[in-house]
Amino acid sequence: MDIQHIRNFSIIAHIDHGKSTLADRMLELTGTITAREAKDQILDSMDIERERGITIKASGVTMEYEYAGEGYMLNLIDTPGHVDFHYEVSRALTACEGALLVVDASQGIQAQTLANAYLATEAGAEILGVINKVDLAAAQPDLVAEEIEHVLGIRKNECFRISAKTGMGVRELLDAVCELLPPPADRSEEPLRALIYDSHYDDYRGVICYVRVVSGSLKPRQKIRLMRLGSTYQITELGKFRPDMRPVEQLGTGEVGYVIANIRNLGDVRIGDTITDDARPAPDPLKGYQPPMQMVFSDFYPGNNTEYPRLRAAFERLALNDASFSFVPQNSQALGFGFRCGFLGLLHMEIIQERLERENDIDVVQTAPTVSYEVLMSDGTVQRIDSPSELPDRTKVEEIREPFVRLEIITTTDTIGGVMTLAESRRCKLVKTDYLNPTRVMLDYKAPLAEIVYDFYDQIKGISHGYATMNYEFTGFEAGDLVKIDILVNHTPVEALSLIVHRSNAEARGRKLIIKLRRAIPRHQFEIPLQVAIGGKIIARETIKAYRKDVTAKLYGGDITRKMKVLKKQKEGKKRMKSVGSVEIPQEAFMSILDTSD
Amino acid sequence: MVGDCALTVEPAGLYVHVPFCRSKCRYCGFYSVPTAGWDGTGVPSRISPRLGAPPNAMHRVWEPYTGRLVAAMLRELDRYEGVQFRTAYVGGGSPTALPPEQLLGLARRIAERLEQVEEFTVECNPGQVDAELLADLRRAGVNRLSFGAQSFRAAELELLGRRHTVEEIGRAVELARRAGFDNVGLDLIFAIPDSTLADWQYSVEAAIGLDVQHISAYSLSFEPGTVFDVWRRNGRLAPVDEELDRAMYEWVIDRLGQVGLPQYEISNFARPGFGCRHNLGYWANRPYVGIGPGAASYWQGDRVTHDSNMEWYMAAVESGQKIPGAVERLGWEDRICETAVLSLRTRAGIDLAAFEHKTGCDLLRTFAATIRRYCDLGLMEITGCAVRLTEQALPIADSILCDFAALE
Repeated sequence: MDIQHIRNFSIIAHIDHGKSTLADRMLELTGTITAREAKDQILDSMDIERERGITIKASGVTMEYEYAGEGYMLNLIDTPGHVDFHYEVSRALTACEGALLVVDASQGIQAQTLANAYLATEAGAEILGVINKVDLAAAQPDLVAEEIEHVLGIRKNECFRISAKTGMGVRELLDAVCELLPPPADRSEEPLRALIYDSHYDDYRGVICYVRVVSGSLKPRQKIRLMRLGSTYQITELGKFRPDMRPVEQLGTGEVGYVIANIRNLGDVRIGDTITDDARPAPDPLKGYQPPMQMVFSDFYPGNNTEYPRLRAAFERLALNDASFSFVPQNSQALGFGFRCGFLGLLHMEIIQERLERENDIDVVQTAPTVSYEVLMSDGTVQRIDSPSELPDRTKVEEIREPFVRLEIITTTDTIGGVMTLAESRRCKLVKTDYLNPTRVMLDYKAPLAEIVYDFYDQIKGISHGYATMNYEFTGFEAGDLVKIDILVNHTPVEALSLIVHRSNAEARGRKLIIKLRRAIPRHQFEIPLQVAIGGKIIARETIKAYRKDVTAKLYGGDITRKMKVLKKQKEGKKRMKSVGSVEIPQEAFMSILDTSD
Repeated sequence: MVGDCALTVEPAGLYVHVPFCRSKCRYCGFYSVPTAGWDGTGVPSRISPRLGAPPNAMHRVWEPYTGRLVAAMLRELDRYEGVQFRTAYVGGGSPTALPPEQLLGLARRIAERLEQVEEFTVECNPGQVDAELLADLRRAGVNRLSFGAQSFRAAELELLGRRHTVEEIGRAVELARRAGFDNVGLDLIFAIPDSTLADWQYSVEAAIGLDVQHISAYSLSFEPGTVFDVWRRNGRLAPVDEELDRAMYEWVIDRLGQVGLPQYEISNFARPGFGCRHNLGYWANRPYVGIGPGAASYWQGDRVTHDSNMEWYMAAVESGQKIPGAVERLGWEDRICETAVLSLRTRAGIDLAAFEHKTGCDLLRTFAATIRRYCDLGLMEITGCAVRLTEQALPIADSILCDFAALE
């Protein structure tokens, strides 16, 4: 196809603002699928996405469309909608020349929509404003158009007003895609460079790479080279998503499709890598994506120790099509062998956990999330640490720096007080207040990531009756009055429970933890002090009282068999425990303390 | 060294279980059948704590039945011909619930059978003895009596469902002495719901005042299937506070030690030389034979527990069949662990040489980590040639003993 008639675009939208419905209508209108075939939200191939109503993985579909008497090839590259998936949004956008920004006519702009719109602009994509659900009674398209103009600078009369559900305005929108979005640059004469923007693993065919050809072209049986490692493969199949996989004889410049080349090793394929021709390689790879900024860390342990190898295999698969996820082996005194995992944010973490359990049927225990810190050492060097246990000796530490974010919260004017009170209690500093319209306000904060990474979002959702949305963006590390608190069980520190916290929160956080411990650890033959310490100084203490009486009064001939059974059982129970400073702690107790789901 | 030959040379004990009581005490989980209010036909199975006073005339009604059972028990004893028992113990239930002539008959036959018995104990209810019965038992060869006194507070006896008075305890001990018994024990119960430390001290002092040779002090436990267990679950009774239970226990250990009745086992105290030899046999994990319905034996490496159904028992004995019940063959590991657990209940602890002789293994090596840990915690000590619990470990002994219930 003539490159002037190719359009590559994404739809960016907040959750439930109708992105997937719009994609379905487009697939129908272009005859890519029939209405009868149309399963709802066909682009979302994972169950979990459909259930949560969010799109996690980007994927691409090729559609044919006729506009002004000419045939066009429209490649719709799907993007995730959530705050945590900046990285995936940005890499989908890199494969596009344009983006449709969809806003719900009754709900208006949400914090995350805004963030994604900024990303599209940064990626150089042309943006079309789309107001969806205009057929609903609660729709206020004029007000929303004003918001879009106010916040994004897209003129209100240039916004498309549609109903993805009924199909109203969708044909006009497709026309606009052909007319207003730019075609890919023509680099068909240059050496092959194809961007791998996604991938997944097929048990029979190996790694399937989702690619956007930027220059040159791909052909079946071509010998290709992955530029990051220099490894070479022969293409066994080339194709497009229509939306099912269909082989083609060529993928030319500007086109989007998939490549199968008998790649068996998961580690060989990295999202963002460039495919080139082995015989006529390009001198430089494409500018890959910025490596994702992992800001949230959490430990995953198999619920059952024997599942460790399976957990590792499962993580390898997840990492294959989620470059923003990382994992390294971890050995905890309390929980045995597991992995320390890095995530973009909290939702990303939850999704990985659910995918683990659903796709691999592995039960995992997940520790409360922490953030990454920077440590300035006395010798002037700077270290990055992802876990409190990595914190170097106190005497060698000049300062600890924590990640700060620019936090945007959009909420209603009547709930602003509660949201601001919460934000202040979490050390957030208000930078700006912007009234989007008389009932909606955008609060702009400078916030420590550690304070918002745990339950902040749930809390503002509660305060605002579900109305508020938020988005954050990493801005940099800043020194703070941060301390490491240690939890001592019977005077022995339990590394798995250490935390880095702001000094002002140290006692409250530490006390909460030891109260949970006190409830979870069974009584022993001796009193067990539970302490919270900063450096060597104890700042809080709880005590587990000793057993006072646990002895069978009568043990004669007729009692021996029964009593031995009881004692054996008592011992079995002890065996399942971890010993910390002569205190037997049931693994379940550790799990209940560390697990976030309480 | 290890093997059945070691068992056969060990002195054995004989236990005879009389599964009758005049009425069922509210706390008692032992197998027995209350005879009061029973017409003697069929097997009484319903346990009723609120039966009327038991006229002695009642004896006559169920005499044939108990007579048949006593005869069956003696026939069971015949199965152990040639076995030398060093101790004998008739317990229950309540042996004195039997008609006196049947109890005496049983005692005489046992005494004849056991020529060289060192200790022959009969458990007695203080309200069910008279001078004649005690004198006859003494003459029959019984040399030790154990009275179920339980408490010297009338209200506590009432709550426990005991059918004797405070005065009858003193009278019974006096009668025993006059009958020529110089080895008399009293059982006491503490941590009775609503009782205070002062109540407990009163009972203990009263027991000391009777100048007995042996006192057992049992913390009340709520056994499944007892009236007390039901009452606790429906809120009518509350167990005493754990701290008070412990205080009562620590106090009695101290007090009896002061008056020359040192503790020799978790719940047992005696003048030097008067520890119950029969029971010491259990704690040394020596073999014993249990006779009667519901009785347990440790014999030739098996732990056997008879079914408690009296009819089955009698039918099996009378027809020379195997008595229905549960048999557990003990392995090498069981013998090690049971010996350790049982011995640790005594204040003497586990004698290292005796342990090695009996089990063929070195205790300090077998349980090295556990012993070291508890020594570090001050809960165990190695004294010369034995390993034992320290005094502070006694109230929480089970939490320690469980570590010896299976090998590392």
